Amino acid sequence: MSEDIIALIKENVIQGRKTADDEGIDDTLSGTPGVEELTRSALEQNIPPDRLITQGLTAGMQVVGEKFSTKEYFIPDMLAAADAVGAAMDILKPYLETSNVETKGKFAIATVKGDIHDIGKNIVAILLKGAGYEVTDLGVDVSTEKIVQYVKEQEPDYLGLSALLTTTMVVMGEVIEALKSNSLRDKVKVLIGGAAVSEQYAEEIGADAYCIDGFHAIQVLDSFQGAKT
Amino acid sequence: MLAASRPLDISLDRRQVLKSLGYRSDSEPSPRIASLVDEYIENARQLLEPRHAYAITNVEWVHDSVAIVGGSTIFQSRVIARLLERCSMVAVFLVTIGNRLEETACRLAEDGLILQSYVLDAIGSEAVEEVAQYVEDMTRETARADGLVIGKRVSPGYCDWDISQQNEIFKMLDATSLGVQLTDQCLMVPQKSISGIIGIGPPEGKVDEYNPCKTCTRQNCLGRR
Repeated sequence: MSEDIIALIKENVIQGRKTADDEGIDDTLSGTPGVEELTRSALEQNIPPDRLITQGLTAGMQVVGEKFSTKEYFIPDMLAAADAVGAAMDILKPYLETSNVETKGKFAIATVKGDIHDIGKNIVAILLKGAGYEVTDLGVDVSTEKIVQYVKEQEPDYLGLSALLTTTMVVMGEVIEALKSNSLRDKVKVLIGGAAVSEQYAEEIGADAYCIDGFHAIQVLDSFQGAKT
Repeated sequence: MLAASRPLDISLDRRQVLKSLGYRSDSEPSPRIASLVDEYIENARQLLEPRHAYAITNVEWVHDSVAIVGGSTIFQSRVIARLLERCSMVAVFLVTIGNRLEETACRLAEDGLILQSYVLDAIGSEAVEEVAQYVEDMTRETARADGLVIGKRVSPGYCDWDISQQNEIFKMLDATSLGVQLTDQCLMVPQKSISGIIGIGPPEGKVDEYNPCKTCTRQNCLGRR
């Protein structure tokens, strides 16, 4: 029984169905419960939240990632799936806190000072939330001082910096320098992304990684997890 | 000057919206995404406040990577100079769809509705593109009436044309009355705005055939044409 409901959660994630009202990729599940309803039923049946996450939500999202990389899925399909997973994570959050299941870590993300583009940042944020990270979105046009202050006070494990333009990507380097001068650089892993930046630029400014898109960001963060344990 | 004969009609072409959402021309979205896109295209119509500012001026002098237009405005860019050396006149334009669509998309994102926000943003991109296309079509008609041809639309920030040259374009037009402002980094607010120039010249100058992308090595450029 528990296997069935977990498999259904996975399938509904793949179909991007948050609630019973949502249409899916095809109509095979139309009218049946979506990820939200299934997650609540699963909790009522005392299925452990960590199994729901790993075998249902994360497993489903992994398939979505594969379909995205083979271009069978497009960004909206991916966002629909991530939205469903994010909603389930919100439902599960209180249970995770009481059952001592650790999240994968705290991730803060910001579009740097001078840049006002938010779409890429939003996509990365929702995907990482769906992948089990505790995500805080600091917004767009965020000053270096504010980012440093946040790292100092909230101690996130990871910091994602976004910039679309060659004129604003230089600010990412300034953020890293400011973290250094505040003795915070070794406390947080810094990931950068955006149309203008590259692997080479990440190296140049001393970031820990360059992420080409949201799914890549999950891979990179998960690889840091592997290194941690 | 601009012949105001044709009404500014924004159709919000569904196929183009899908293209800005990342779909290829041969791929259809899933039923869920399709109904969302259709619903938001209809909703977006009442959020559009399309406006444009426009001026046609003379190309005074072109050399190497500098072009002087309209008396005293200096455009610094090799690509722009190569474009304008084929031209006798240049149309300078600024178009926008206003703030309302953007504010709505922002609110959706704040409420966690990232998919909906992303779809609305793509619709906004298509809408402002249609306003720019309207200005381009008008310029082509005006030019044709005088036996002239036009080049491709070019905007500051593309090729070697520095984004700070937005300031020159804004000085030539009444940007304030359009409600468009420049940030310190020369980004436009509302973001769904397009500024730029369209070269106008005699057929023998062949500005209509000029495409800087043909000789450019940046294969992955988002603006490649």
